[in-house]
Amino acid sequence: MRATVDGSGIVAQSQSALAPFRLYRPESVAEVKAVLAADPEAVIGAGCSDLVARIREGCAPRALVSLRTVAGLAAITHDAGVLRLGSMVTHHEGATSPIVAAAIPGLAAAWSRIATVRIRYTGTVGGNLMARRYRYEMPLLLGALDARLSISDGRTLGTGELWTDDTTALLTDIAVSTADLVWFGYERSMRPTTTVAVAIRRGEDATLSVHATAGSEYRRGISMRADTQVGTAADIDPARTASVLAAQLPADIADYTGSAEYRRHLVGVLARRLLCAAAVATHHREDEPHE
Amino acid sequence: MSDPDTETSVAGAPAPRGALDISIEFSLNGEKQNCRIDSNAVLLDVLRENLGCRGVRGSCERGVCGACTVLVDDVPVASCSTFAFAVDGASVETVEGLAAADGTLSPQQRAFAECGGYQCGFCTSGMLMLTTGLLRREPRPDRGTIRDWISSNTCRCTGYEMIMESVERAAELTAAQDGDRV
Repeated sequence: MRATVDGSGIVAQSQSALAPFRLYRPESVAEVKAVLAADPEAVIGAGCSDLVARIREGCAPRALVSLRTVAGLAAITHDAGVLRLGSMVTHHEGATSPIVAAAIPGLAAAWSRIATVRIRYTGTVGGNLMARRYRYEMPLLLGALDARLSISDGRTLGTGELWTDDTTALLTDIAVSTADLVWFGYERSMRPTTTVAVAIRRGEDATLSVHATAGSEYRRGISMRADTQVGTAADIDPARTASVLAAQLPADIADYTGSAEYRRHLVGVLARRLLCAAAVATHHREDEPHE
Repeated sequence: MSDPDTETSVAGAPAPRGALDISIEFSLNGEKQNCRIDSNAVLLDVLRENLGCRGVRGSCERGVCGACTVLVDDVPVASCSTFAFAVDGASVETVEGLAAADGTLSPQQRAFAECGGYQCGFCTSGMLMLTTGLLRREPRPDRGTIRDWISSNTCRCTGYEMIMESVERAAELTAAQDGDRV
């Protein structure tokens, strides 16, 4: 049963072979915090699809805090230029939400393409982020959008900080500023080798900046930024800007699926495609606020 | 908290006792079920071992292959990756509930038989439940939508074309049965 924990075998344990765990079913965030404080062994489970995968990999929780009955964690709002997603919003709910579609159409479109039907109805945005898996895609999408994550310990983290901050506290919601957002898109046609998310924002000087994240199935997403010095997406030089972004990839970007040179090439191609799409998509609404 | 075995608590209160075994109540193919289960029980095992639903098949046990697909409150889920406590108060449907009481096959079952949408048959119950969930949402899905849904489940015989045709035919039969003749 413990084969994958100590590396002594090749047969993964089954969740059916788990010992019973202490199950907590709190109904409020305050109750979740109380349980986590009182039972340090407790792990949080939302849709539990990732937790089951972790159990297959050797995780053997002795206590589980189910979030299914916690009130107030599944709201989606867009007020005052901030899109707010509760951590229990499922992939299906997020991808089909009229609020998300109106606030950031590219996020709704990207969200609708990740995972399978079953996972989309069960998996949550919070679970996807807090699992801290390289192959999961919400860290890339929300990373490019500079999302801020509200944690029950009172802190607010950037998406990229999840890779270095091992908090086991509760993620309550995710906030994305849309006030200065011009366009967002995601390219996953080369998944699992490489995917790229691009967010274009307008700065205080009215010029546009590009925040891209590049990921793959096998390693942590990389954040890249470029200032364009132009005021419309159509004026961005896609090839040059994509090249600037790709050049920011670290030297050790190579992995199982390609050399560093190949990876830079892919990121350049995908980023260029996205910037071209941004030019077309924003052509008729450059002066419209992104509300 | 909702569990009677667990003391209600607020922040700062003494540690609540987590339950190792719990009672759940849910509807299975329209019939009410009361079960006492271990906290770690997965829905697949409860359905197969406790309630005799052998059409729910375990295979990958990690929510990938779809052989164990059942509907929970109309939503297709992988029963192998769903803890049984999660269906407390829910409506669960398995392939055993598709046919009528007199044995008349459902439109989905007839469509799969008619179009050869099964080969070895191992994936068929999951495919049928996925099809049921799809047609409840989109009674006349296009090919792209069918592909999107069916790609969630694995057929190791690789017979997807006939499965696609079966879903299209199931949509026709369901519409006909519901009086919307095509």
